[in-house]
Amino acid sequence: MKLPLWLKALVLVAPALALVAFGPRGQTEIPAGRVVVTYWEKWTLDEGRAIKTIVSRFNETVGRDKGVWVNYTALGDVDKRMLIATAGGDPPDIAGLSDRFVPQYADQDALLPLDNMMAEHGIDAGAFKPIWLDICRYRGKLYALPSTPFTIALFYNRAHFRAAGLDPDRPPQTTAEFTEYAVKLTRFETGGAKAAGRDDRIVQLGFTPSPSMLGWWHWVWPGFFGGRLWDGERFHIDDEPGRAAYEWLMDYRNRVGNRAVVQFEGQGSVIESAQNPFLAGRLSMVFQGPWFTKWAMRYAPELDYGVAPFPSSDPARKHVLASCDVFVIPRSAKHPREAMMFLSYLMSQPVLEELNREHGKVSPFRSPLPSFYEGHPNPHVRIFDEMATSADCFGYPQMPTWGEAWTETLFMTENTLRGVRPPADEVRDAQLRVDAIVAQYDRAAARRKARQ
Amino acid sequence: MTHDARHRKADRAALLSGLAWTAPWWLGFLLLMAGPLVATLYLSFCDYSLLEPPAFVGVENYVTLVRDENVHKVLWNTLIYAAISVPLMTALAVGLAILVNQPIRGQAFFRAAIFVPTIVPLVAAGIVWMWLLNPESGLVNETLKAIGISRPPLWLESPQWAMTTLIGVSLWFVGTPMVIYLAGLQEIPETLYEAARLDGASAWGRFWHVTLPGLSPVILFNVVVGLINAWQVFALPFVMWRTRPGPDRAAYFYTTYLFDNAFTYLKMGYASALAWVQLLIILTLTGLVFWLSRRSVHYVGR
Repeated sequence: MKLPLWLKALVLVAPALALVAFGPRGQTEIPAGRVVVTYWEKWTLDEGRAIKTIVSRFNETVGRDKGVWVNYTALGDVDKRMLIATAGGDPPDIAGLSDRFVPQYADQDALLPLDNMMAEHGIDAGAFKPIWLDICRYRGKLYALPSTPFTIALFYNRAHFRAAGLDPDRPPQTTAEFTEYAVKLTRFETGGAKAAGRDDRIVQLGFTPSPSMLGWWHWVWPGFFGGRLWDGERFHIDDEPGRAAYEWLMDYRNRVGNRAVVQFEGQGSVIESAQNPFLAGRLSMVFQGPWFTKWAMRYAPELDYGVAPFPSSDPARKHVLASCDVFVIPRSAKHPREAMMFLSYLMSQPVLEELNREHGKVSPFRSPLPSFYEGHPNPHVRIFDEMATSADCFGYPQMPTWGEAWTETLFMTENTLRGVRPPADEVRDAQLRVDAIVAQYDRAAARRKARQ
Repeated sequence: MTHDARHRKADRAALLSGLAWTAPWWLGFLLLMAGPLVATLYLSFCDYSLLEPPAFVGVENYVTLVRDENVHKVLWNTLIYAAISVPLMTALAVGLAILVNQPIRGQAFFRAAIFVPTIVPLVAAGIVWMWLLNPESGLVNETLKAIGISRPPLWLESPQWAMTTLIGVSLWFVGTPMVIYLAGLQEIPETLYEAARLDGASAWGRFWHVTLPGLSPVILFNVVVGLINAWQVFALPFVMWRTRPGPDRAAYFYTTYLFDNAFTYLKMGYASALAWVQLLIILTLTGLVFWLSRRSVHYVGR
């Protein structure tokens, strides 16, 4: 049957017209007279709902009084999108980033310094635990404000501890003790703690720092030996703490048989699921953040586990990795003052603690309100919170070339863990490569400065 | 109007008609390809991080590129991958095309079975292969153990096996070239085979003297496309080695490194230089393939 031309055209055009007429509406109606503050964030699902509740409340109260409307949008890869939008001259007024991007973006002048605006809007820097604002600074200036901070702890399987003859109420106190625990917790198919033969395989591993199996911070280990990768000018990995850290990682692996460990790690992990190796009882100890508790409740509610600070080489020191999602105002944001109005609302203790309670994170404040702990979904939140008060807290290295240094340390860690070369050789080469990267960046930065 | 003038007019009309029909592509090419291509050539001589205006630095990016250890590594990896995967894929695709061109029972099923994997998105295929190659519970190693290989390879974890694994997995997509070869096989006149048979040519002789020459333009096309794809390999290693470089950077390829420089390190100038070197390598290799093939490719009607 031959259809007339008008009918064909109608068939083609009708869906488009229907979409325009009845399709989804992306925008909420914005009351007239409000200055619209665009806010890009990475949070979705429960985390997204928590911030949306706060945004709505602001729009209905403070925002109404001050003539500001915050338009929240959740995006993937918000860091890259913000960057491209900034380069294109049309960034959001607020973006929610991970703290590790702050030095790179600040160094390239993509972020507004917030020190003065913070004072103007009455945000009391002294109310926060120092580490959380330190993380937001770059070369002495504040370029971000903390949103949802967290520390990283040792999660350990108490049932495994008992079965291995270890006291479940006494997690390892030093890195040396940690190795002994990890060896005792490792179980092979044939029942021993070491491979009985070439083909024996691990059924329960004490610990793995492998990036393919919950080891998200491959660069962190020198930190527990007192090392800090960046001193503001130079990268340090080929030093005593760096070498000691990677020798320490290999010590445990070599004692149980590295090939078997590599094979175990090769199975990978679906992290947010019951197949998570710690939740499934195949891995005895992991280095993870407060969100891990939520996954344990969801996927392994019967799991008997404990949480403790990760041990340091020196028992007198309490090295702690602290990290944080942050709020930033991009350099060419159209409404920085109004953005700061919203941020000052968010920075009030009840509001920010509400957000962090909903996210299962810690409080950024020196003295959390009693209401923060009441009803907090994470039963271990006080441990994470206290860890942030340690004098030995450290965050991501605040270097503008962290992306490259991260990749180089990843190469190094991968090669070390697979026994490609001895740790000392890997550490030395990583140092040389990162030194070259930093030197090249410094030359380019000097040229940029000379042009200005 | 003379015959020649009429001919010229018809040619012009055909040209205009052709241009009109391909206009959307030309427009897209000029706006989305040619413009950025010229821009990246300029940017490759600049220090450019997106956030500040590009600053001319002469050939510094190219000098850095020559000295960059990572470039040496990714060039070597990509070269090895292309040098092995392209001939292997060609041989396998031609072989399979000849097999499924035989008038056998279930011919349509075999053709479909070989082609179907190619419609699986690369990312999904990568994830499925990661499961299959899982050293603890993967089907591949379990099968190897069942047949007596007690210590099968750590396919993804071992630096020695990573490249072999990637090449093997890339053969999963043999269906696309196979279908093109199949079409090519059906274009070879049956009379040539009949003549060869009458001359007493064996099956091997018919393959060598009829099939292969008849298929040569298609082989040239597939080799060129395969070479370009191999030099741009990205998705499979990106998915299968989630921690990017893979063991001893064995799964770190040229395009992955380019991507890292552009979008992780924000070194757009350096990434542009990398892209131009990649383009020149691909153009040179493509030219080389055309030059080498000038005597061995036979076109019908020439």
